[in-house]
Amino acid sequence: MSNATLDGKSISSEDAYQLAAKILQAARFPLVAGLGADVAGAQAAILLAERLRGAFDHLASRDSLADLEVVRSAGVFVTTPNEARVRADVVLLVGPGLPTYWPGIFDRLALDKDTVHGGETKRRVIWIGPKRGEAKVEGLEIETIPATEAELPGMLAALRARVGGRPVALSAAAAKKLDAHAQTLKAARFGVAVWAAAGLDALIVEMLQGMIGELNATTRFTGVPIGGRSGATGVLQASAWMTGFPPRTGFGRGYPEHDVWRFEASRLVDSGEADAALWISAYDGETPPWESADIPLVTLGPAGAATKRGLYIAVGKPGESYDAVEFAQETSSLVLRRATAPTELPTVAQAIEAINARFSEDLPC
Amino acid sequence: MLTRLHGGHVVDPVNGVDQIGDLYLEDGRIVAPPEGRSPDADYDVSGHVVMAGAIDIHSHIAGGNVNSARLLLPEMHRSIRARLDGTPLSTAKWSTFETGRLYAQMGFTTVVEPAVAPHHALHAHMELGDVPIIDKGALTVLGNDDFLLRALRAGESETAIADYVAQTVEATGTLGLKCINPGGAEAFKQNMRSFGLDEIVPFYGVTSRQIFQSLQRATGRVGIPHPLHLHMNNLGVAGNIETALETIDAADGLPMHLAHVQFYAYGLEGKNAFSSAGARLAAKINANKNISVDVGQVMFGDTVTISSDVLRQFNSLSGAIPKKGVIFDGDANGGGVVPYAYRISNYYNAIQWAAGLELFLLIEDPMQVFFTTDHPNGGPFTTYPDLFALLMSAELRAQWMERLPADVLEMTTLPSIKREYSLYEIATMSRAGPARLYGFEDRGRLDDGAIADVAVYKQQTDKAGMFRNAALVFKDGELVVRDGAVTRYTKGKTLRIRPGYDRAIEKRLDAYYDELYGLPRSAFDVPEAALAGKSVFAEVACRN
Repeated sequence: MSNATLDGKSISSEDAYQLAAKILQAARFPLVAGLGADVAGAQAAILLAERLRGAFDHLASRDSLADLEVVRSAGVFVTTPNEARVRADVVLLVGPGLPTYWPGIFDRLALDKDTVHGGETKRRVIWIGPKRGEAKVEGLEIETIPATEAELPGMLAALRARVGGRPVALSAAAAKKLDAHAQTLKAARFGVAVWAAAGLDALIVEMLQGMIGELNATTRFTGVPIGGRSGATGVLQASAWMTGFPPRTGFGRGYPEHDVWRFEASRLVDSGEADAALWISAYDGETPPWESADIPLVTLGPAGAATKRGLYIAVGKPGESYDAVEFAQETSSLVLRRATAPTELPTVAQAIEAINARFSEDLPC
Repeated sequence: MLTRLHGGHVVDPVNGVDQIGDLYLEDGRIVAPPEGRSPDADYDVSGHVVMAGAIDIHSHIAGGNVNSARLLLPEMHRSIRARLDGTPLSTAKWSTFETGRLYAQMGFTTVVEPAVAPHHALHAHMELGDVPIIDKGALTVLGNDDFLLRALRAGESETAIADYVAQTVEATGTLGLKCINPGGAEAFKQNMRSFGLDEIVPFYGVTSRQIFQSLQRATGRVGIPHPLHLHMNNLGVAGNIETALETIDAADGLPMHLAHVQFYAYGLEGKNAFSSAGARLAAKINANKNISVDVGQVMFGDTVTISSDVLRQFNSLSGAIPKKGVIFDGDANGGGVVPYAYRISNYYNAIQWAAGLELFLLIEDPMQVFFTTDHPNGGPFTTYPDLFALLMSAELRAQWMERLPADVLEMTTLPSIKREYSLYEIATMSRAGPARLYGFEDRGRLDDGAIADVAVYKQQTDKAGMFRNAALVFKDGELVVRDGAVTRYTKGKTLRIRPGYDRAIEKRLDAYYDELYGLPRSAFDVPEAALAGKSVFAEVACRN
């Protein structure tokens, strides 16, 4: 049985791979995008982009790059969820939607339990800028610093200012409240801030990390970032060791060049710079973000989500229908996830390998 | 296929060979001259030096901290040229692929990544799997892990600790143990900002000395061929020569390897209260044959420091060039990434450079001292050829010394040292010694049966040029480098040991992970299935 369709009509796998190879090889500057894949899938995809002298981007690059922009302009303090779980006596949750970005957050960080390392103490949990009602978690005592999304940058900046003993333009009552929270942060033995770049911009992350840096002058404080969707962090890691750079990297000159504007997937497609695309979204079949509808398109996605237009090849879901190495938020490390419901569908890497094997010989390897 | 290299100057210290001769390779091994057969491939290597493939015993080439450094410093590694056919990503600067290519071009065929955190071992192996051509190995970091510190606090038996060590090394797929600022990373989490040899880790009641001594004994008991690889306390601190001397005494005559000792060869003399103590440290090492060291030579230029000594890296942050860094409090050691620039005009950097060379030149036995720049901490591994040249020429050193700040020369014995390394000593230090240090019985040597990893260098007066671009390199008998260029990729192996131990420790660890982390211990496994098609493991024998 074939798992491929062309403009919604079933075609054989062999024809699909042949056609995919033809489309990508014919392009002057093909784009490998989406990249919602496990590490092996990302490795294959990046090697493919390199061989074709195209470019690659991940569908959640915006989020990875918000954190990364802070890393490479200022630096960061980070730790693991495990360390937060066993040691963090003060936990600062930052921004709205954290349980959406990381459903296991409260359980994994064991916020209802005492710390284990560095002395057994009850934790204090502060949440700055939660969504309405979000900070009501059963079994947890959470102090909140209310702030809408629009107010969050200013409120975080004020908190940082009070941690550093600098004046803020708040009412006396509001400043007093904030001072109490600042005092809690400064009195932490090993404080941990948790944030998700998906809900924040780089300047907020930088503000937060700036505060953490200042707290480390007298005590220990660090952070746990929540990574982007669709394997973003694992793909980022593979991209870094393979090319030296994160996604949004191109190989037009035969070596990697990284530019967050130049190699952004939507811009490449909508400007016409990319003239064919391989879109990979193996986790959930997320669709491409670009507007242009007429770029020759090859999609690798879940079975049953075939697009009406273009070539669609169904692949398995990483870590569910096949064993896959991916970045685990719960340990902040690469782990092998064993398949829970194995299928016969190809892995992302296998599908790319099959395309790779069908390029004509005039494409150098 | 039978390959012959004829007429070269063969330098093979393991077998005492230092003369013109022929070498035969077949089926990935070095073979005796076969009778009555002519070679399928014949290379005239007259005018060339023939050595075994070199072995780098300590180079940070893979893993989470290295990858953080890549992401921290995109400006440091812009690529500039397209690659050759058949070598994807080989010119992608600082990539795993480029790492394999660059090592191979210098005639290095085995490299050990010395700092694998047990909970990030799979990541390190994924990266090592993407390093082409060369064989890889790694060391597992213990000494700031709660399980060990608890065991020491509880006064557990040496057998129990040995079982834990053996299990951890096996599970992480490495060649042995590294211990990095024992207790110091844990102390830093508890807000200590310095940590000495006899300071006590809060809550655990054990000292740095006790931690590494227990790991040293466990290493012997488990039969790990490589002695405990120790990154001492007080790295980079003025006056830390005392720490180094006390640590050598604390080794108590048992085998121990001290990493990048140049960073511990600092006295307090002079108006800057910073002087080279290289001569004192070298004398101590000469008198303690149980100790081996690698130097961690500083080479002038821009670089980045990557270390699991998170306390030290935090203290370095204020001097970062450019001013940024990553401080990672890991499940045990964690790590820090701090960029830095060593300048020949900087008094402190020049002292560091001189101290490293003093160690190389004053340690008498080349089996006791190893090449490293602690890549990339003292400088990138690509500076090794320049370092070879410095060791081989007193005149070249004198030229460099003329460029140092004048007061530096009063704080080092380097100007008085005339020793020049011979090719034989270079081969000892980069081939024979490392093989013995890691228990490799079939590499670093050129006798029959050894792995056919062979480097051929064109004899020339420019020794740096000679070692930078090998004329020919064979990996497992296959030609991979010609005239300093990688011509094709081969897949290297990852070397590991498989020590025996009492499996009862596994149940105990399962319960420990479940209780402390609420996670199955298997989350941190390095399953071979995860590395399929990337790297195959090859076993190195244990001592018992």
